[in-house]
Amino acid sequence: MANEAEETIRKLSQHKGVVGVVVVNGEGIPIKTTLDNHVSVQYAGLLSALVDKAKSVVRDLDPTNDLTFLRIRSKKSEVMVAPDKDFILIVVQNPVE
Amino acid sequence: MSKRLPDIWRNKTSEKSIGLILKKLRVSAQKEATKSRANLAEDEALEWLKPRTLIKPDDQDEVPDADLEEEVGRVLTTINPQWVLDEVAYHYGQNRFALKAKPTFGKAYPLYIYQGTAIRKDSDEAKAQIAAGYGMVGFDDAGPKRAKVKKSAAEEEEEEEPEPEPQPPPEEAKPEEDAVQEEEKPVPTEEAEAAPTEVADEQAGDEGGEEAAGEEKEEEGGGPPPVEEVLDIKPRVKKLANQFNFCERAALTYNNPRRSVDTQTIPPPRANYGSTCLQSIIFDFYQEDYAKKMREKEEEKPKRLRKKAAKHAKSEQQIHDEQLAQRIREAWTILERLVNQNIYDDIAQDYRYWDDPSDEFREGMGSLLPLWKFQFEPMRSHAVCDVQWNPHYQDLFAVAYGSLDFTNQQKNGCLCLYSIKNPAYPEYSVVTESPIICLDVYKETPYLICVGLYDGNVCVYNAQLTLESSYQYKSDSVRDKHSNIVWEIRWGARLIDGEASFFSISGDGRVVQWAVMPGELQATTIITLRSNVPPIPGPDGTLLTVNSCGSCICFHPEKADIFMVGTEDGMIHTCSLKYNRNYVNSVQGHHMPVYRINYNYFNNSIYASCSGDWRVKIWEDGRDEPLFMFELGSPVGDVKWAPYSSTVFAACTADGKVYVYDLNVNKYRPICVQAVVSKKTKKLTRIDFNSRLPIVVCGDTKGTCHVVKLSPNLRVMCKPPKKAQSVDQRTLQIMKLDKLLSLVRDPPFQTGVVDEKFDDD
Repeated sequence: MANEAEETIRKLSQHKGVVGVVVVNGEGIPIKTTLDNHVSVQYAGLLSALVDKAKSVVRDLDPTNDLTFLRIRSKKSEVMVAPDKDFILIVVQNPVE
Repeated sequence: MSKRLPDIWRNKTSEKSIGLILKKLRVSAQKEATKSRANLAEDEALEWLKPRTLIKPDDQDEVPDADLEEEVGRVLTTINPQWVLDEVAYHYGQNRFALKAKPTFGKAYPLYIYQGTAIRKDSDEAKAQIAAGYGMVGFDDAGPKRAKVKKSAAEEEEEEEPEPEPQPPPEEAKPEEDAVQEEEKPVPTEEAEAAPTEVADEQAGDEGGEEAAGEEKEEEGGGPPPVEEVLDIKPRVKKLANQFNFCERAALTYNNPRRSVDTQTIPPPRANYGSTCLQSIIFDFYQEDYAKKMREKEEEKPKRLRKKAAKHAKSEQQIHDEQLAQRIREAWTILERLVNQNIYDDIAQDYRYWDDPSDEFREGMGSLLPLWKFQFEPMRSHAVCDVQWNPHYQDLFAVAYGSLDFTNQQKNGCLCLYSIKNPAYPEYSVVTESPIICLDVYKETPYLICVGLYDGNVCVYNAQLTLESSYQYKSDSVRDKHSNIVWEIRWGARLIDGEASFFSISGDGRVVQWAVMPGELQATTIITLRSNVPPIPGPDGTLLTVNSCGSCICFHPEKADIFMVGTEDGMIHTCSLKYNRNYVNSVQGHHMPVYRINYNYFNNSIYASCSGDWRVKIWEDGRDEPLFMFELGSPVGDVKWAPYSSTVFAACTADGKVYVYDLNVNKYRPICVQAVVSKKTKKLTRIDFNSRLPIVVCGDTKGTCHVVKLSPNLRVMCKPPKKAQSVDQRTLQIMKLDKLLSLVRDPPFQTGVVDEKFDDD
């Protein structure tokens, strides 16, 4: 499992334009990252709050529904978030020029 | 009795006042009668105006005014004032005046007499009851006591006389009854007065003690009932306490003095709690509750059943871990897809929407649009030896990595499954010990893939299992593997027992059927390909028969036991599973090894073959000569009919080109020739049409798979004729091919025709 995770992170970070991959555990602490430490902590903190909010938005519109993924497209980059109750996976990618 | 008089007087005074009122009323009534027109208020004021004339009878006495003014009261009362209460009469026997007994209230006329249940206390029955102590008890004890009374009565009977009732002789009883009745009657009689007295006298002796008690009770009771009043007169009579006479008793307990004691506890700890309650949270709690209830229900099941289930069930932690791992895997997969979508967005757009616009202007010519390139980094130096779209998932294809450079053979091979949604990495990849030369995906269960290896082994891989577990089945390397390269492998029909089976053809000249038994593969040699070469003398003098080397195999689409075999010496044999020695038919198809044979999807008797002699030939069953022959200028690695059209096929050559033919458009030339890879470094090995999408995948010798899109001219569908608009596409395609074939067949058997045309080229 651990090897598989390492392998997956390595694979993902090799993709074109991928800036970084962050794995956040259920408590909002980054446990695996390819970014700088403080940047990944910032990503983890900000995004777990955003994920909570987004989840509550989706759930409140329809309680049987749930948030599965989150894509944040910005001018400079795109942040892709896979939220779960036990973890959050974050991938930051610069769009292809 | 004299007590009553003042009462009456008082009544009379009140009567007087009533009389006054009455009189006043009468006067006013007279006034109103005399002058009716004036109202009451004006009466007195207008009195003097009116002369009053009274008409009197002549003989009327003169009455003074004072007499007239006198008020005469008339009283209605319930009491008879004439009634003399205390009437006395002289009693000669006693020599004194005695009271005359009279009914209490004046004249009364009995209209209805009802014999009550009350009995006189001096009656025999009452006496019997008193004797039984009955008169002394409360209502509650009446039941048992009554029984006692009866019992005592019965005893009396026994003692005295056998009479049915304990009544005294009728002479005594009768007067009593009379007395009761006569008391209500208006005229009292002497007898009535005497009788109770007598009875009272009689009783006085017996029940003296009890009488006192009775009297006391009477006084306590307050206002005695009228009957008792009568009894009052004869105080000696023992009063029979009726059963409805309750005795109230009360007791007062001590009241404890009040006292107040205050204490103060330490206030319990308080905390402020705040939380938001959203619809979703409520929903979650309900879900949780429901799950809990379900679990409780489960636990209510008999223990025996539960144990059975528990054996198979994994621990909760394990399940949770597995689910978590699965969720993480899915999340990674989707993230990867997202990243890929960003990277390959333009290609995806092209794939979906871009059709070569120049096709509209060039009739009968098309082009291929290169889309994705699939490459697996560890397999850069390997060749793509086989490629096949998944029959179930239209975006998935399987790739066999091996090597076709036999002088510099690779040590290992790889089986990969790629999705066009993720060009960067294979969805599934497994490295094999030997290069993979061929593969086939099982149509029934598209995750089972059989592969043929360079070393002659065959394996079955299950793509559903994780990467660690490699093959699911492998042929026994010692006993029954092929002794040469396995060139092609194809799933066949299920065996009679229901096991899946596949066929492999190898360079050792054998066609082997492999039955997928639980845990092992069971090999059966179907046919050994004979060679025309005469037996060669071996080193020790024995003659060795040389088999011809099989290079490809192709099953008839409908007849499961008919298959075609191509050999390295260019022969195409039609074989049957039922004959293991003879060929059904045999054709010298090519001059070089036959690389692939492929049946047309619309006509089962038409097939195409390609060979290292640079040629692609189109054959019809039963003809020894091909219907069409095309020379492509380079060894042709693969030829495939298009699944969407009966006349379109594609071939790939060693010089890196893909040829697309549409026989309906052009019988002699390809409608598209496109170099997909550079011919200096790479060769194209295999090609495959996607069954649903207009794309083709082809593999090269440097481990890259190219997916190209067919331009609109390459996938022209049939237009239904005006007469028969409703004919479906398949019928049209078959008709198209038949028409074409009839054109070709028409000059019966002209060997030179095809070659001739080709020479013109």
